[in-house]
Amino acid sequence: MSTMGDIVVLIKPALNPEMIRSLPDGGVDFDNIPLKLSDIDRNAIEEANRLKETLKGKIYSITISTWGPISKRDKDIKMAIQEGLAKGVDEAILLEDDSITPGDQVTTASAIVSILNKFNIKPDLILAGEATIDGFSGQVAGRVAAKLNLPYISFARKIDINGNKVVIERDLEDYVEVVETSLPAVISVTREINSPKPPTLIQIRMASKKPQQIVKLSDLTGVSTQKKKLVEAKVLAVKRKQTMIEGKSLEEVADKLIEILEQEGVLKH
Amino acid sequence: MVEVIVVVQKESDGSELLTLAKKVGEPVALTYGTNEAERLTKYFNKVYKIKEDDPESIFTALKNLYDKFNPKLIIGMSSKNLKDAFSRLAGIYDLPFATDIFDFNVSGSKVTYKRSFLSGRAVESEEAQMPVLLLALPRRTQKSEGNVNGSIEELSIEKKSQIAIKERKEKVKGGVNLETAEFIVSVGRGFKNKEDLKLAFELADLVGAQIGCSRPIAADLKWLTEDHWVGLSGKKVAPKVYLMFGISGAPQHLAGITDAKTVIAINNDKTAPIFKNADYGIVADLYQFIPILIKKLKERH
Ligand SMILES: Cc1cc2nc3c(=O)[nH]c(=O)nc-3n(C[C@H](O)[C@H](O)[C@H](O)COP(=O)(O)OP(=O)(O)OC[C@H]3O[C@@H](n4cnc5c(N)ncnc54)[C@H](O)[C@@H]3O)c2cc1C
Ligand SMILES: Nc1ncnc2c1ncn2[C@@H]1O[C@H](COP(=O)(O)O)[C@@H](O)[C@H]1O
Repeated sequence: MSTMGDIVVLIKPALNPEMIRSLPDGGVDFDNIPLKLSDIDRNAIEEANRLKETLKGKIYSITISTWGPISKRDKDIKMAIQEGLAKGVDEAILLEDDSITPGDQVTTASAIVSILNKFNIKPDLILAGEATIDGFSGQVAGRVAAKLNLPYISFARKIDINGNKVVIERDLEDYVEVVETSLPAVISVTREINSPKPPTLIQIRMASKKPQQIVKLSDLTGVSTQKKKLVEAKVLAVKRKQTMIEGKSLEEVADKLIEILEQEGVLKH
Repeated sequence: MVEVIVVVQKESDGSELLTLAKKVGEPVALTYGTNEAERLTKYFNKVYKIKEDDPESIFTALKNLYDKFNPKLIIGMSSKNLKDAFSRLAGIYDLPFATDIFDFNVSGSKVTYKRSFLSGRAVESEEAQMPVLLLALPRRTQKSEGNVNGSIEELSIEKKSQIAIKERKEKVKGGVNLETAEFIVSVGRGFKNKEDLKLAFELADLVGAQIGCSRPIAADLKWLTEDHWVGLSGKKVAPKVYLMFGISGAPQHLAGITDAKTVIAINNDKTAPIFKNADYGIVADLYQFIPILIKKLKERH
């Protein structure tokens, strides 16, 4: 049951690009790439915390598992959720089910809406990241907004709440657009909106006491099946020479560098 | 029968999108805001037009056309406002939607395409069932000739207007054009102060290079304007030489330089990941090295 002023943050345990592993044939070795909380979702959590001071409700996080098998991923998924709880989320809800992995955004968005219905959560604000670090697709928040028929404001780099009104700065390619809408609304945030710090040990310890609800697909209604299929993924093999330029002195190194720049044809004679 | 809706503003995008649309069938175009509607009639038999250019309006017009034609494909060029508008339509009807795609193909009722994955470290191939929404990367498709003489129809959208636009502030630009630069000198957190960047500017001036930077320099510190920012969320560049100082080599930065011919990195930490992703590496303190390099370059003249 939700009260006035509640905030929902959508958080995804995403494949960690820094830990990319490749199979002998150059394919992405999915099974050996760990998950972590998608970076921009940290900004969404941070912003939820800030806005809670004004809205005074509870912060829920909702997570839909997208990478399986759950038995192998469970630890990483729980860690990501734990990070949210440590950073101010009051209650976490997680859909974990092998039958929806690998997930797509059709499944994810419909499952998020289904969870809101099941738990009767009627937030004033739903916050998401502008995109995830694995798929970088930037569409889940817009889908959720459209399904709920709520205003959707994307690419927010500043949010100001004043009573029932919200003023948002949208960060676009060539200009910043200031828009106003009223709550409830769905907002996706950029990395520029704030600078979250990692949770402290005390925060992490406190987090384990907070409520977590874990549901299965069979607990929900109206979750759509996937409409997209990942056929293959190849590690991008940009082969660089990896030659170190060394010398007895920096002068000698500079000479060698200049020689290379000449060969590459970027120094005018 | 209309099978494709192409959402487009510029003629150059329209001619590429027509090539993609023709793989599926007969297209109509939807154009918005300040646009090149007249010129687009060379490529599309019918060009629908709205004055507005915000995502809510584009979505509303697009939904009207979608309901009218039931097309198999809705396609545009990737941009933030179209990501916003398309995601709403995809959400309402639970349609598959992919952004920043290239290598688009059709077989039967399915489409396949590629897109960057894992913050630019990998490329994924996906398959989706039509009807599908796609946003393509520009300059990846052959242009089609425009040889029709289409008509323009202005649509008026009755907006519920959930969102009011208060103001638009143009972004300040540093006057660089990294996308076409042949030589880029790029700066990262290895610089300790904004003033110190003049080392890099002096070097760049001397050799006629443009200045690029990592995200923190533009986004967090705001030492440079955003048009200098290279990477996943910044500019994708393809110079002959990308010469970087004090950049660690995070995957999101590397995502912007995959098309650079020769990458040269200067970093004082010999374990910095950039050295595995560079053609030439130099372990040095940039504060010592750049002045020496400048001196040597001057001697050369
Ligand atoms: C979703 C997402 C999108 C992102 N998009 C981008 C993007 O588009 N572009 C981008 O750049 N980043 C992006 N990032 C951020 C990226 O992950 C890194 O944080 C960033 O690239 C680091 O910048 P840096 O290398 O300048 O700084 P650091 O990682 O702090 O590296 C500084 C380097 O300077 C070296 N150094 C220090 N002092 C000296 C000296 N005196 N001489 C020589 N070397 C020195 C250090 O050894 C170090 O390697 C993104 C991150 C996320 C999560
Ligand atoms: N599986 C998921 N569970 C919860 N939230 C998600 C999930 N996938 C995406 N999101 C949210 O939607 C944002 C954009 O994701 P995407 O559209 O996949 O790039 C993310 O930053 C999250 O806030």
